[in-house]
Amino acid sequence: MDAATPSLWDAVIAFDYWPEIGTATLDTLIMTGVSLLFTILLGLPLGVVLFLTSPGHRSPQRQVARMQAITYGMLSFLVNVLRSAPFLILLILLIPVTRWIMGTTLGVEGSIPPLVIGIAPFFARLVENLLREVDRGVLEACRAMGATTRQTVFWALLPETLPGLLGAVTVTAIALIGYSAMSGVIGGGGLGDLAVRYGYQRFNTAVMLVTVAVLVVLVQLVQLIGDRLVRRLNHR
Amino acid sequence: MIRIEGLGKAYRTPQGEFHALHDIDLEIARGDVFGIIGRSGAGKSTLLRTLNLLERPTLGHVYIDGEDVTHIDGDRLRRLRQRIGVIFQHFNLLHSRSVSENVRLPLRIAGELSTAEQTRRVNEVLELVGLADQARKFPGQLSGGQQQRVGIARALANKPTLLLCDEATSALDPQTTQSILRLLVDINRQLGLTIVLITHDMNVIRAVANHVAILEHGRVVESGKVLDVFLNPRHETTQSLLAEIGLETEGAIATARSGSSRILRLTYRGVTALSPVLSRLSRESGVDFAILQGSVGRLQGSPYGQLTIEMEEPDDSRFQQLLVALANQDVRCEVLR
Repeated sequence: MDAATPSLWDAVIAFDYWPEIGTATLDTLIMTGVSLLFTILLGLPLGVVLFLTSPGHRSPQRQVARMQAITYGMLSFLVNVLRSAPFLILLILLIPVTRWIMGTTLGVEGSIPPLVIGIAPFFARLVENLLREVDRGVLEACRAMGATTRQTVFWALLPETLPGLLGAVTVTAIALIGYSAMSGVIGGGGLGDLAVRYGYQRFNTAVMLVTVAVLVVLVQLVQLIGDRLVRRLNHR
Repeated sequence: MIRIEGLGKAYRTPQGEFHALHDIDLEIARGDVFGIIGRSGAGKSTLLRTLNLLERPTLGHVYIDGEDVTHIDGDRLRRLRQRIGVIFQHFNLLHSRSVSENVRLPLRIAGELSTAEQTRRVNEVLELVGLADQARKFPGQLSGGQQQRVGIARALANKPTLLLCDEATSALDPQTTQSILRLLVDINRQLGLTIVLITHDMNVIRAVANHVAILEHGRVVESGKVLDVFLNPRHETTQSLLAEIGLETEGAIATARSGSSRILRLTYRGVTALSPVLSRLSRESGVDFAILQGSVGRLQGSPYGQLTIEMEEPDDSRFQQLLVALANQDVRCEVLR
């Protein structure tokens, strides 16, 4: 090979932005990780409540059923509103909320609240749908055994959906990686931020391509781990 | 044990009220195996579900051990349900949990035993249903019959005095059905457990029940001891359900040679069933029989037989002699033609 024409390897070595890429990757991982944690903490109970108050699962007592219908209606509306707003718009709309919660709207901290608020409703719907897939016979058996709602949820419903839940967490984590890159537009930090600043504003195509490559690798890794866990936990 | 009085259940539908159950009165004694049979849509599942109040009656009362449970709720209702075991047609096991965890679930729900005691009890009931060696498996790895055994073990875990079986064998093949039914009979004898089961199959009733109620359009059209109902069915639904398992005579008459032959239905039970009644009578009276249809076996441990026989034009005096002879042998005899 002619030494005058630089090989790909030379280009990789010559690439000066590895430290930035490293920091940005770490930032992305922190953003998605922390957001994922809060998404689960918020979305899982929300999904369970949506399921328990959904039509067909309401109390035979009319008063209680009415309260459940109202709860379902309000939560369902809220979830739909948050899901129908494009994430980019949500990011901007939530700036005051983010400042109130985190004290800043910039960087890794600044992107976590909008990420969680943007994705938790999506996750909650996934959870609601998963719970709907649980065999009704299992619910019937729990009622017949005299289980409380809490016991039914924790000892039957959630264990039965665990493989599906892990799948939902995987899908959500990947969506979060994508969203977290988007938050770069408003100065959110991470790989998206890097791509915007170097790739878009400074026309540095190499940085942008490397950023995309890293994101692809991250997504593949998350999917791989998720699939492995689902397979291990599935006893069907 | 259980008394049902004037029980009714109506549902509101867009087409108006739908009455699933009408004015049902039943009494189920302690230690009974009580079968409720009917075709699909007869209301048998609804009736069974009123016993643990998964279905609230709109009229009437359910008494369990003398206590009116029709309107209890909250914690009392949960306590009641914990004392009533239920097994289901489709087993309704948790596929994410091992066999022993499935059986432990009702114990955890009741929350009365320590973990060690729970484990002991789980092993006990798994032993009872013959699955002690499968405890660590998952339901998905078991056959249908084994899964139903897990269901039974789970139902028995809390030492219930009442076991409800909702079409417990309908999803199983005939051989497995027999083994599950045998297990139910064993449990009934060993533990003195009262069993209420619903089914659409008279074979199930014949195999395990000692009392039966026939349900049609939400009403009990006939009920009584299995032996009485089987040998002397009065309602047409009962007769047609019996016909499905070859215990009915109408069809048999049609197969008889036409003309002046006589057709008799003989019903006998107890030791008579074991003695060679027919051949002796035939020899003594000189009348030849053709058996058109029949069933000989045991119902609840007591031998019985029911035969529809045809004989060629015996003269009247010999025929009367024969009837007397049959009566002397403790054979109930109906002249069908």
